Amino acid sequence: MGDGGRGRGLLIAGATLVAAIVLLALLAPYLTPYDPDVTVVARYTGPAPPSAAHPLGTDTLGRDVWARIVFGARTSLAVAVLAMLVSLGIGVTVGLVAGYFGRWLDTACMWIVDLVLTLPTLLLLIVLATVLPPSLLTIPLVIGLVGWTTFARTVRGEVLSLRERDYVLAARALGASHAWIIVRHLLPGALPSVLALAALGMSGAIGLDAGLSYLGLGVPLPTPSWGRMISETQTYFAVAPWLVVVPGVAISAAVIGFNLIGYGLLDLLGAPRT
Amino acid sequence: MAGYLARRLLRAASTLLGTTLILFVLVRVVPADPAVSIAGPKADPATLAAIRKDLGLDDPLPVQYGRYLWGLAHGDLGRSYVTGRRVAALIGERLPATALLAVTSLAIGFALGVGVGLLTAARQGSAADLGVLVATLVGLSIPTFFVGNLLIYLFGYRLRWLPLGGYGGVRHLLLPAATLAFVELLFYARFVHTSVTGTLASDYVRTARAKGVPPLALYLRHALRNALVPIVTLLGLDVASLMSGVVLTETVFNWPGLGRLAVQAVFSLDIPLVAGTVLFSAVLVLACNLVVDLLYGVIDPRVQHG
Repeated sequence: MGDGGRGRGLLIAGATLVAAIVLLALLAPYLTPYDPDVTVVARYTGPAPPSAAHPLGTDTLGRDVWARIVFGARTSLAVAVLAMLVSLGIGVTVGLVAGYFGRWLDTACMWIVDLVLTLPTLLLLIVLATVLPPSLLTIPLVIGLVGWTTFARTVRGEVLSLRERDYVLAARALGASHAWIIVRHLLPGALPSVLALAALGMSGAIGLDAGLSYLGLGVPLPTPSWGRMISETQTYFAVAPWLVVVPGVAISAAVIGFNLIGYGLLDLLGAPRT
Repeated sequence: MAGYLARRLLRAASTLLGTTLILFVLVRVVPADPAVSIAGPKADPATLAAIRKDLGLDDPLPVQYGRYLWGLAHGDLGRSYVTGRRVAALIGERLPATALLAVTSLAIGFALGVGVGLLTAARQGSAADLGVLVATLVGLSIPTFFVGNLLIYLFGYRLRWLPLGGYGGVRHLLLPAATLAFVELLFYARFVHTSVTGTLASDYVRTARAKGVPPLALYLRHALRNALVPIVTLLGLDVASLMSGVVLTETVFNWPGLGRLAVQAVFSLDIPLVAGTVLFSAVLVLACNLVVDLLYGVIDPRVQHG
């Protein structure tokens, strides 16, 4: 399975796709003369198909679709990065603690992991989104709170295999503190798989954010968001298919890009995948 | 076996208790005052106080949690703030639609996915591996609601073969079931492919081949049996993600199931209804996982002593 060429191929393909989307987000103001939230057509006669002035057409409110896509990329990426960091922070901490200290702490941590896994992700997100009023900060927090379990399980597994190694036992015999052993000896060993999971975490967060936005529970208006672009315009699908296809392709491309990076890394690490 | 069974039951029970605690905490920290949700924003303070007293909202939290558990133990999920009807009854009304959709799509997706996985695994080589990996990766990356919308566009608007949404006969079921089955198909195809190719590469299969076991018998009798054992576990774990897919698919197709119920309840801040549907799904997932654990104990003798 660990055929290096394949993993590298996936990684390069994913990195290219992600780099393109990140560039769109960073350069958004330079890529379009239009404000994404403002009606830009002189006389509104319904959504207009792609033209020279509006490469991806205009939407049901006469806004430029391309402008909404590039500015929407900012929202999607920002939400995903924050959510992934929340998941990573919680998951890595729980995994390190559970794996290193073992015993009842391990049992308790894994019980919580099981609990979170039992609740259907989207329904849990819906409940959390009801409790916390949606904003650019709460949405990532909520997505991060349901997504940390994979990090915890993987890091725990790595730590379990590392903690009996000679160099760790030696460090302990020399009187190194728990914190030192965890940060200095165990964390670096778990880092490669955490990196792969971080990429998969990004794709998961982008998908969940799009799903929440589609249900109308995402980052509130007027911030442009890819998921909401679909839910707002799907009733016009028959007459203006580009309104749904364009954001749909954008979401898919972003998720595919991060998934390619994640699986490419896993492949290079020779990790089993399911 | 008895010890294994007892451990599993205990675990499921403790997870269920944890779920109720999480839901109770979430429901109690919701900023909207339940009394206001029921009586409306213009209600006078006396009415609000009466409703609060009626719902027991002035009691200490542990008392309220105890009462919540007591009610749950008697099948009482509370009453909807909006309609005043029993949450359990509302769930019961919507359950058949969701069950129909979920079971149909799981059956189709599972059967096709296992088939595709077996066929591609039989065709050994890194090209087939890469093909399956990339195809499932790309397919599973496309959001469910986008797949659903594309199907509506093609079969509803363009070809006009099938209705755009709603609940009715088989014709209404086809598109939403296809949407969900698409995800399930890819999911199982990938798993079966990886699992079977892994088993085919293992030592005991190589030994059997060296002994001259014919390829078909090798594939069916030696590789498949072992490769398919973990799929039972996967089926159990998949129920939770299937429920998430159901929520989105029901929204796309305006399918009157539990997912629509939960989403609509969120928008009307109907907290008992939201909590009730989530708890119901959690119980469903737990029950499925428990069945899987038991099946696993039967299929794989090693588990009984683990």
